[in-house]
Amino acid sequence: MIELQHVTKLYPASSRPALDDVSTEIDKGEFVFLIGSSGSGKSTLLRLLLKEDDPTRGTVVVNGKTLNTMSKWQVPKLRRTIGCVFQDFRLLRNRTVAQNVAFALEVINKPQRTIKRVVPEVLEMVGLEGKGNRLPGELSGGEQQRVAIARAFVNRPLVLLADEPTGNLDPETSEGIMLLLERINRTGTTVVMATHDYHIVDSMRRRVIELNGGALTRDQSRGVYGVGR
Amino acid sequence: MRVNFVLSEVATGLRRNLTMTVAMVLTTAISLGLMGTGLLIAGMISDMKEIYYDKVQVSVFLADDVTDQQRSAIEQELAGSPEVAGYIYESKDEAYARFQQQFSQQPELVQNTPADALPESFRVELVNPERYEVIAAAFPNGQDGVDQVRDEGDFLDRLFSLLNGARNATIAVAVVQALAALLLISNTIQLAAFNRRNETSIMRLVGASRWYTQLPFILEAALAGLIGALLAIGGLVVTKLLFVDKTLAGPIRAGIIPPVDWGAIAFISPVIAAAGVGLAGIAAYVTLRLYVRL
Repeated sequence: MIELQHVTKLYPASSRPALDDVSTEIDKGEFVFLIGSSGSGKSTLLRLLLKEDDPTRGTVVVNGKTLNTMSKWQVPKLRRTIGCVFQDFRLLRNRTVAQNVAFALEVINKPQRTIKRVVPEVLEMVGLEGKGNRLPGELSGGEQQRVAIARAFVNRPLVLLADEPTGNLDPETSEGIMLLLERINRTGTTVVMATHDYHIVDSMRRRVIELNGGALTRDQSRGVYGVGR
Repeated sequence: MRVNFVLSEVATGLRRNLTMTVAMVLTTAISLGLMGTGLLIAGMISDMKEIYYDKVQVSVFLADDVTDQQRSAIEQELAGSPEVAGYIYESKDEAYARFQQQFSQQPELVQNTPADALPESFRVELVNPERYEVIAAAFPNGQDGVDQVRDEGDFLDRLFSLLNGARNATIAVAVVQALAALLLISNTIQLAAFNRRNETSIMRLVGASRWYTQLPFILEAALAGLIGALLAIGGLVVTKLLFVDKTLAGPIRAGIIPPVDWGAIAFISPVIAAAGVGLAGIAAYVTLRLYVRL
């Protein structure tokens, strides 16, 4: 599903590599926590999976496609198979909840008929039934993140990438978001979640990949956040 | 592609940068208007060439004291010359009548010119317009009743080089304006892309195609180009109605200047519109390619 072979990423401005010879494999349907301190390379790794950036060396394969050799115009197709959730939600403030979710389908040319059917379904799934006509500003942080997850999932992606999705949320709200991500994972979607939240990592006991200064220092199934915490 | 989605994006974009949009439309309009003027002058020049070069190439002006005998000798020589394709005689009265008509817009000039001030002349059309010297040699100035022989083609050449200069200057200014318009379009598009970076970054994340993300911006520029073109065409129509048809009415009626007819404007309008839409769209596309990450 996801495969990295000796992936190194250098940024011109920095002498230290953002990713240093990282190799790993993530299977279909896995739930993986990507942990590590700020600047350890988590976000860089997620960017490479989205082909927002290209690795300096090494090979990245996502959903059976080698991203290194992929041409620019094929990137949109790749991204339709990947859902994305961020710490800052990235919602359109001037569109309603339902419009935000529908936006993801409109811009990839889904027929209006499908959109009308699918959007309420996914809103119900993330627990926002009846809130489709609200604006994001009228919702709590947790609810906004649910909108973002609905938008990421509405297209039934094979992979869901989440970059610190609970970073702005309190522990109870975070728990709700994690339950939702678990539920999405149970539908067969691979979930890769970068996080600092050791409570979540420790309580869920899923596979943990730890990055340190760009290098992969730990890959543990049913892992915890770290020793001494 | 969802048409109303794209169109609403375009409308929002244009409204959000209203001042930039207005500047973009106006510079485009001025540039295209000047371009149209240049094209109209070019058309006028070729019309005028037809009017003038067809009529007269050489004028043989007769002296005031020409005798009837000298006049008919000149006429015979013209009639017998293989170089001459045709000629007409213009008496003093006819010359004055033509003068009155030509300068009907300047009555003082007409009033201050005595009726017999204009010389009588033979207007000669040559088989080969370049062979002016042959006629000039046959009728030496100041002899046998000839006052002077004038190559009207020479005068026309100077007139046309003036008109060509006017056309070139107009087009040069149009090009400079077009450059300004293109830079403004490029700026507006960068601004618009920055204003909508939220939408476009989400579009990119969910896998919208490049065209889907870029098309609203390109259409935005093309629409501004179209509005500019329509303003330019409107400007040409107004110029025709208020300036050409009114101020130049006299010379046009006298046949000195060819009229600017609606056909000419109708002919260049699509050219202007296509230039406006095309250049703006291309400028936007290039800007998105070079300066904006979409």
